[in-house]
Amino acid sequence: MRCPIETPETAEVLLAYGAGKLDAESRAALAQHMEVCDACREFARGHQAVWKALDAWEVPAVSADFNRRLYQRIDQEVSWWDALLRPFRPLFVRQGLPVAAAVALVVGAGALIMHPGGGPIPPAPVSAEVDVVAPDQAEHALQEMEMMREFNRLIHTDTTDPKM
Amino acid sequence: MPDRVRTDVGGAAVALDYDAELMLRVKEGDGASFGTLLEKHRTSVVHFLDRMVQNHAVAEELAQEVFLRVYRSRATYEPTAKFTTWLFRIATHLALNSLRDGKNERLQEHLDDDRSEMPVRQVSDARPTVEDYMVYEARLDEVRKAVAMLPQKQRAAVLMHKYEEMEYSQIAKVLNCSESAVKSLLFRAYEALRSRLAHMA
Repeated sequence: MRCPIETPETAEVLLAYGAGKLDAESRAALAQHMEVCDACREFARGHQAVWKALDAWEVPAVSADFNRRLYQRIDQEVSWWDALLRPFRPLFVRQGLPVAAAVALVVGAGALIMHPGGGPIPPAPVSAEVDVVAPDQAEHALQEMEMMREFNRLIHTDTTDPKM
Repeated sequence: MPDRVRTDVGGAAVALDYDAELMLRVKEGDGASFGTLLEKHRTSVVHFLDRMVQNHAVAEELAQEVFLRVYRSRATYEPTAKFTTWLFRIATHLALNSLRDGKNERLQEHLDDDRSEMPVRQVSDARPTVEDYMVYEARLDEVRKAVAMLPQKQRAAVLMHKYEEMEYSQIAKVLNCSESAVKSLLFRAYEALRSRLAHMA
């Protein structure tokens, strides 16, 4: 057996040995090699000590409210969309996507009429700014709301926190 | 199941299929699948980050950001790599940024703090004495300091190799380097740890 400690690439055999992940055949070959190779024997012994020391490193458990905090943050992001789309919500719920598409089409057509020729549209005054909601954005937001309802259901099963 | 998801046999491939499939369901608006992914990977992500930044509060904050990014990216998600590779790439990126931004300044303070938040060590024999606890704490401190002294990429590689039991190829994908570079990183890292911790054998 070629001495595995010679290069980092071949030293993976020693790393696997220390981690107890070496197959029986390779382990036997390495054991035989280590009988005559002090460097490999020393490395393997040291690596096993490191492995054992790392095994003892425990970390604290994840906080019980980790999920609640995460869903709250997701909720905050979704709430932004929810607030933006609230005026259009009844339309989406009752009439669905066609209405959303029609609204977007009308708004888009209006923008085209106002700025014919396809040139760059000059920025509108701040006081007259209108957010145009595209149908796919609207659909996405509705999906978000649906997911949030699902999250809330999940949280209700996970925790007794009356807020969620 | 979508065609894009690989269906190879074998433990790793099955895990890939399941996580990727869950993520594709999240993409389609299934919130419960996101919950399943969170439950499955939350602990390993938090523990990895905890050992990286060595501050539990910062680690949890970073883990929140990891899952928030996963959630935000659902619309553009494509299962081109193993889900955990993607997940740990995000986690490693955030951890390295956090360390670079100096949030790790708290690290040394934390290392010198008392360990009131550390888990109580379970032992099979009688209750541990104060002396046992102190010995354990001293050894743990040495381990933490030895790992903290490693260069950041070596540290990430060791933590993924040791605690997440990742293959070299997966670590390489997470760290965006070659497999031989990972082997080299690990070899040097374990050599450094060996010189600092061998006396604990």
